[in-house]
Amino acid sequence: MSKTLFQSVLLLLFLFATPELMAQKRAKRLADEDTQNWRYEIQCVNVGRQGSYLIKVYSFSRRKHIPEEQSKKNAVHGVIFKGIPAGDRGCVAQPPLARNANVEEEKRAYFDDFFAEGGKYMKFVSLTTDGAVAATDRFRVGRNGREYKIGIVVTVNIDLLRKELESAGIIRGLSSGF
Amino acid sequence: MKNILLTAFSILSVLFAHSQAKKPTLMVVPSDNWCISRGYSLEFDNQGAIEVIPDYKRAFQENADLLLVISKLNGLMAERGFPLKNMETVIKSRELNSALDAARSSRSSGAEVAESPVDQILDQAKADIVLQLTWSVNQTGPKKSVTFNLQGLDAYSNKQIATAAGTGAPSFSAELPVLLEEAVQSYIGPFANTLQDHFDDLFENGREVTLRIKRWDDWPNDLETTYGPDTEELGFIIEDWMADNTVKGRFSTTDATENTMLFEQVRIPMFFERNGRQRAMDTRRFASELSKFLRSDPYNIENKLTTRGLGEATIFLGSK
Repeated sequence: MSKTLFQSVLLLLFLFATPELMAQKRAKRLADEDTQNWRYEIQCVNVGRQGSYLIKVYSFSRRKHIPEEQSKKNAVHGVIFKGIPAGDRGCVAQPPLARNANVEEEKRAYFDDFFAEGGKYMKFVSLTTDGAVAATDRFRVGRNGREYKIGIVVTVNIDLLRKELESAGIIRGLSSGF
Repeated sequence: MKNILLTAFSILSVLFAHSQAKKPTLMVVPSDNWCISRGYSLEFDNQGAIEVIPDYKRAFQENADLLLVISKLNGLMAERGFPLKNMETVIKSRELNSALDAARSSRSSGAEVAESPVDQILDQAKADIVLQLTWSVNQTGPKKSVTFNLQGLDAYSNKQIATAAGTGAPSFSAELPVLLEEAVQSYIGPFANTLQDHFDDLFENGREVTLRIKRWDDWPNDLETTYGPDTEELGFIIEDWMADNTVKGRFSTTDATENTMLFEQVRIPMFFERNGRQRAMDTRRFASELSKFLRSDPYNIENKLTTRGLGEATIFLGSK
């Protein structure tokens, strides 16, 4: 009797948990795909002290909630390869850290490790407001509104990031060669 | 064992063979406009014309905001591996050295330290790249904003090689030092980026310098005198040497008369090889090669070489 009950509970758990797990896996896979496509927009929110910038990064997702890590990766990627556009509150446009447009391809192995799960990118970015999304920062976009554009504010320490890329030989320092 | 020694030797020779280029010196200097508009100026009578020049010493002594901005800039550039010369310290050190030289005399002969009028003129606070700093405060009612302008000026080509300028967001509450600090923090990235463009250009196309040729008035020949088997004018011989020895043959002959030649935008290599090792090239070294060329057969022209900083050299033809 007790054995049958135990087996039934297990079966029920399996039946309920599997779709949830599958959904989570699927969401992560989609998020990873979006991250690999580097679909995002960034906005400068404010200039911090000691070389840090407050950035709002808009990521795109088919789900209403976006994984925080995707936003963090997008923000760091933007600082390295796109630069920060000028914004309100005295935000001056910042050039991308990588001056060579092909460096992402040329240093593919480094950037694969850098942006991997738990990769080094995490050292240079942190969520502000615990990743909470303001009501005005989540809206539907695309054909039939099937996609969400979600803005999350993060802090990126550009000075530290620049030093890391310089020491890894990805970008040239101002004094290199002298 | 022999192989290990050989490997170690070859690694060391490769390490030492790669020399580094001469690092230009950078110094933040408040602009004439900034100094004079704030009253940090001196007036002097230059043969009847009243001239106003900036009084840097008083600016450093009296303006705390200037010290703050320079300190912040120095710190941020030092973080990028490019510490700046501090103008205030350079001025003090120059004054102290002048005082010491004036007081010093030889113990045996009583002779004083030799200094020509030219030495006195050259003895100024100088750097290869001057970071000229200007800011102004804009006030509309209670709102304040700062217009910030940082220009990187090459002291020898007189070109603006880097820049960052703009006006910050107006603030009701922030005090001036805070606005200035924010401006420096915001503009240092774009400024360093344009400076990096300049350095990349140096490494690709060579350092841009100026070279002058002049003649002493007691020399019987001039730059139109013909020399060599082709009986070519000296001016053209020098021009040909320049074309052969500059990077990609790049230079401009700005002036050429029988008495003087001025070569601008002369691109000299960053390195030269000596005893199998690469060494950093500067204008003096480059011009000394021309000086040697002119002293050698068939020209045999005695000459004197003088330099000003890393980027300007003059060769005087006729004697030392």
